[in-house]
Amino acid sequence: MKIRLYKFPSPLLPSPRGEGCLRNEDGVRAFARSTKYLMIFGLAIIIFSSCEKIINPTLQPATPVLVVDAWLNNKPEKQIVRLTMTQSYFDATVPPGVHSATVLITDDLNTVYSFADDGTNTGTYQWTPAPGKSFGAVGRQFKLTVQLNSETFEALSVMKRTTAVDSITFLIDESPRFPSGSYQAQFWGNDLQGKGDSYWIKTYKNGVQLNKPSEINLAFDAGFSQGGDFDGVTFITPIRRGVNPDEVDANKKRLPAYVEGDSLYVEINSITLESFDHLQQVKTQTERSGGFGALFAKPLDNVSTNIVNTNANGSKVVGFFNVSAVKGRGRKFVK
Amino acid sequence: MMILRFVFLSAFISATTLFAQNKHTLSGTIKDAANGEVLIGATIFIKEAKAGEAANAYGFYSLTVPSAAYTVVYSFIGYEKRERQITLDQDVRLDIELKEESKQLEEVVVSDDPNDPLTRVQSTAMSTNELSIKTMKKIPAFLGEVDVIRSLLSLPGISSVGEGASGYNSRGGSVGQNLVLLDEAPVYNSSHMLGFFSVFNPDAVIDTKLYKGAIPSRYGGRLSSILDVRMKEGNSKKFETTGGIGTIFSRLAFEGPIVKDKGSFIIAARRSYIDVLARPFVQVLKDGGALNFYDLTMKVNYKFSNRDRIYLSGYFGRDNFLFSKNQGFSWGNQTATFRWNHLFNRKLFANLTGVYSEYSYQLQFGKDDLNRFKWNSAINNYIFKPEFTYFINDKNELSFGGEAIYYYFVPANTVGTSNGSEQDISLSKKYNLETSLYAGNSQHVGKNISLEYGLRFSQFTSFGRDTVYRYNDTVPGIRRTPTAFKAYKSGQAIAQYNNWQPRFSAKFQINDKSSVKASYNRMVQYLHLISNTTASNPLDVWTPSSKIILPEIGDQFALGYFRTLGKNNQWEAAVESYYRTTQNQIDYINGADLLINKFLEGDLLIGKGRAYGLEFYLHRKVGRLNGWVSYTLAKTELQTTGINNNNWYPTRYDQRHNLKVTAFYDISKRWSFSTNFVFLSGTPATFPTSRYTEQGILIPYNANNSRNNVRVPAYHRLDIAFRLDGKLVDKKGRPRKNHDYWVFSIYNVYARQNPFSIYFSQNDKRVPQGQAIQSHATQVSIIGSLVPAFSYNFNF
Repeated sequence: MKIRLYKFPSPLLPSPRGEGCLRNEDGVRAFARSTKYLMIFGLAIIIFSSCEKIINPTLQPATPVLVVDAWLNNKPEKQIVRLTMTQSYFDATVPPGVHSATVLITDDLNTVYSFADDGTNTGTYQWTPAPGKSFGAVGRQFKLTVQLNSETFEALSVMKRTTAVDSITFLIDESPRFPSGSYQAQFWGNDLQGKGDSYWIKTYKNGVQLNKPSEINLAFDAGFSQGGDFDGVTFITPIRRGVNPDEVDANKKRLPAYVEGDSLYVEINSITLESFDHLQQVKTQTERSGGFGALFAKPLDNVSTNIVNTNANGSKVVGFFNVSAVKGRGRKFVK
Repeated sequence: MMILRFVFLSAFISATTLFAQNKHTLSGTIKDAANGEVLIGATIFIKEAKAGEAANAYGFYSLTVPSAAYTVVYSFIGYEKRERQITLDQDVRLDIELKEESKQLEEVVVSDDPNDPLTRVQSTAMSTNELSIKTMKKIPAFLGEVDVIRSLLSLPGISSVGEGASGYNSRGGSVGQNLVLLDEAPVYNSSHMLGFFSVFNPDAVIDTKLYKGAIPSRYGGRLSSILDVRMKEGNSKKFETTGGIGTIFSRLAFEGPIVKDKGSFIIAARRSYIDVLARPFVQVLKDGGALNFYDLTMKVNYKFSNRDRIYLSGYFGRDNFLFSKNQGFSWGNQTATFRWNHLFNRKLFANLTGVYSEYSYQLQFGKDDLNRFKWNSAINNYIFKPEFTYFINDKNELSFGGEAIYYYFVPANTVGTSNGSEQDISLSKKYNLETSLYAGNSQHVGKNISLEYGLRFSQFTSFGRDTVYRYNDTVPGIRRTPTAFKAYKSGQAIAQYNNWQPRFSAKFQINDKSSVKASYNRMVQYLHLISNTTASNPLDVWTPSSKIILPEIGDQFALGYFRTLGKNNQWEAAVESYYRTTQNQIDYINGADLLINKFLEGDLLIGKGRAYGLEFYLHRKVGRLNGWVSYTLAKTELQTTGINNNNWYPTRYDQRHNLKVTAFYDISKRWSFSTNFVFLSGTPATFPTSRYTEQGILIPYNANNSRNNVRVPAYHRLDIAFRLDGKLVDKKGRPRKNHDYWVFSIYNVYARQNPFSIYFSQNDKRVPQGQAIQSHATQVSIIGSLVPAFSYNFNF
C-alpha cells in the first residue's frame, strides 16, 4: 500500500469499505473525519475489518408531508420550484408530484413572479425570464408562497452577493484518492471582503452536476465554518479541490478525476447563513460512512427547513427556499 | 466553609472524649508478605469486641477499643488468615503481613467469619465493586489484553455502547459522568486506540474500586461514578521483573526495593508494536508515519519514619497516528501525583496529595507551509488535596478534608494557512477553580445499624480573560445566535456556583447472613464532556461550566438487600435498586457543531435525566469453579425542550436487559479455563420514517420528529480463555524461580455480528436530477468475526 498525502486535510485513505473518500467537508469536521480515517487505517491494519450488511428493518409508518424544493438563482434560465410528497424511506420511486398548488414569489419591490405547473405531473412549477433577463437581483428579499388545499406555506430568502471563479487549473497529484498519475482540478477564487458570505460551489463535469452528498462543497467566507475567520482570502485548499468527482468503477476502484477532453464548469452560488446551516446538516445526514466511522457518526436528525405553514397547527412541511446569485467559469482539460 | 468543618470536627471530638476513657488504639498496616504491597481493603476484626474495619487505600487501619486481652484476626480474600493474641493495655502498633493462599484444586473450606467486615453483607458500603488485578487477569480479554475498563463491564449496572467505544456507562450515566482516577489524578480519556484498550497497565495496577452510588463525601466532581484505580507500590522485598508479549502490546515492568521494607519503586511500560511489524509493507510508515500507542507508569515510595511515607507516581501515555512526519493525530494523558502520608497519632491519619494532570491532543495537516492546518487542545489541572481520617473509636471513623483544583483549558489552539495567508482561529482559553470541603463519619449505632453520613461543599468559579456571549432566544432545538458579548479581564470572575452535596448510607443487619442497605447521594459536576457522536472519541472536548452551561446536579437513591449463601458462606448475593435524577444535563441541537466553535453554547441545550434499575449479583468467591453472574434491568431517559417533541426519550446507551456471566474453572494444577458471556438489549437509535429529495439529494426524514425511536438488535457474545501456567518446579524438582504462563483466548466465539449501529444512505451511484434514487439501511458490526489471541507472560 503506497500512501502519500498531498496538501491540507484533503484526505486521505480508503475507507474500510474500499471506497468513499474525504472531500470538501464542512467545518472542522473534515479534520475530525481525517482523523477518523487515520484511526480506521490503523484499526484496519491491526484488526480485520469491521463488517457491514444491508438490512431491511421495519420502519414506523408516517403520513406523507409536503416537500418544497425551491432553490432559485439569477442565471438567465427557467426557474423551478418542485413540490412533492415525502415517501416511505425504502420506496425507491420518483417522489410523487403535487399539483393544483399556487406558487408565487414576491420581492420587496412588490414584483410578483408566478410559477406555473408545467403539466408533467412531477410537481414542477416554473417561471421563465424574458430573453436576456434573469430572476431577481442581489440584495432583493423574496417571499415564497405556496397555497395547497386551503393551506398556505411561506418562506423568506434574500439574494446575497457572490464571488467569481478566477481560474481553473489541472494538476497531477499523488493523492491516494486518485489513481497514480491522474489529473485533478482546482479552482481559484477569493472570498469577498467582509465577514459572513457563504457559498455553495457547484461543479459540472461534462455538463453533469456532481450531486452526490459527498460532493456538496460549501464555504463560509474562504473557510469551512462561521468560527473559521477566513475572511477575504483565497478559498482554502479543500474547498478549491472540492470540484473533483467522487467516483469508483465496478470494482470499487477509484476513477481518475479528469482526463483529457473533459470539461469542467464551476459556479459559486451565494447562499444565506440559514441555507449554509441547512446544507451542512444535509451533508451530515446524507454522507454516511460505515465501518469504524460508525463510532464517530452523528445521530440521525431532521434537517432544518425555512418553509413555514402559516397555520402552526396545520400540516407539516419540509424543504428549503433559497435564492442565489451565481458566477461561474468553465474550462476544457487539454494537456 | 471553615466554619462547617469546625462544627463537624468539634462535634465529633466532643463525642470522642465521652467514649475515650480507658481505651487503647490498635493500629498499623496490612501488607502482602511476598512483596510488601499494601493490601487495600484487608480487614482486621477483634473477636471479643466484635469490632472491625477495612484497611484504607494505604493499607492503614486503626481501631480503638476498651483495654482488654483480645484475639485479633487479619484477613484478605485470597490470603491466609492471621490470628494474634493482643493485650491492649496500651496503644499498640502492629504491622501485619499476610501470605497468599497457594492454589489448591480441592474445594477449599473457608470458614468465613460472618462478622468479617470485609463481606458485602457486613460493610455499610453499597453500590461499590472492587476488582483486583488478579481477577481481571483471569477474565477473557479482547485480543488477550487485560483491561481495567473492559473488565468493569462484567459488573452489574455497568455498560457500554459497543466495541471500540471508550469509557463506560454507570447506572444510566454518560461516559463523561465518570471520574476516573489513577493514583488520585483524573484521567480525562481512559482509552488507547479509540476505546479498544484502556490506559492502565495491568502490571502496574493493584486495585480498582468502582463507586456507582453511595459515594463517600471525599469524592466529587462527577455525577455517575468514581473509578479509583490504585497503582502498585513496587516490591519492597526483592527485585522483580514482570512482562508479557501479547497480540497488541508488549509489556515490561521492573520493581524492587530502594531500601528493603522502607521504600520501593516500580516502572512499567507498554507499547503496541504492530507498526514495527508492518513497517516493511506500509509505505507511510517507512516515510516517517507512525501508528502506535504506548504508556509508561512509574511510582516510588519511601518511608521516612513510622509516621511518614511519601509517594510519587506518574503516568505518561500517547497514541500516535501519523501519515508522515508532520501530518496526523496524536493524543494522550500525563499525570503526576505526590502524596505524603502522615500519622499525627495512632488515631489521626493524614494524606496530602498534589496532582498535575494533562490531557491533550494534536492534529496537523498540510505538507507545505502555504497550506497547513494545526490544531491542539488540552486540559491542565493542578490539584491540592489534604485529607484526614480520624479513627475516633470502634464506633466512629471521621474523615474530612478539602480539595482545590485549578483547571486551565485550551479548547482549540488552531492556525490554518490557505495559499500563504495565515488565520488564527483559536478559541479563548478557560480558567477555572473548583474548591471543595468535606466531612463524613462512619458510625456504628448499636449492634445492627451502621451509618455513613457526610457533606461536601463545592464552589466553582470561572475566570477571565474571556469573552462571554449572550444568545437570543429562539425556538428550542434551533441554533441560537450570539446577540451581545462582554469581555472579562484576566482574573475577573465570570460565573460562580456553590453547591452542597449531602451523602448518606445506612445498613441494617438482619442476621449474620443478611442485611439491608439504603443510600442517598447528591453529586455535582462542573466539567462537561461535549460529544454527540455514537461513541465518545478522543476529539471530544471537555467544557467547564460557564454563565450558560450550568453545573449538572445528580441525585441518587439506592436500596439493597445483601446476603451470603451456602454452608461456608461461599456464595454472596446482592440485589440493589437505584433511582437517579439529573438536572442541567447537556444535550445538543440537531446538527450541532461541537468542534472549534466559538459559539458552542448556542448549539447546546439543557435538559434533565432520570434512570432507574434493578441489579442482581451472585458471586461464588471460592472453590474450583468460581465467578459471578450479574443481571441488570434498567431504564435511562432524557427530556430536553426542543428534542423529541419535548417528551422523554431513551439515551443512546439505554439497555433494558444486561446479563453477564463470568466464570473461572481450574482444570488441573497448570490449566485453567475462564469464560464470559454477555447479553445486552439493543441500544436505541433514530431511524427515519420517510425520505424526500431536495436538489437531487436524498434526505432521510423522521416524520414523528422523534429521537431514539427504535432499538437495534440485541448484543450477545461468548468469550473463552485457557491459561497454562509454566511448571512450578524445574527438572530436578526444585521450585522454579521464574513464573510464566500462556493465555489463549477467543473473543466472540460464535462470531456473532453484533450490531453497533445502523445507518441510512442513498445509493453510491450518481443519479441525474429527476430520476428515482435507491436508498438502503446498513448495519455496522465493529467486530465481525471471532478474534483469537494469545499472550505469554512472565515474572522473575
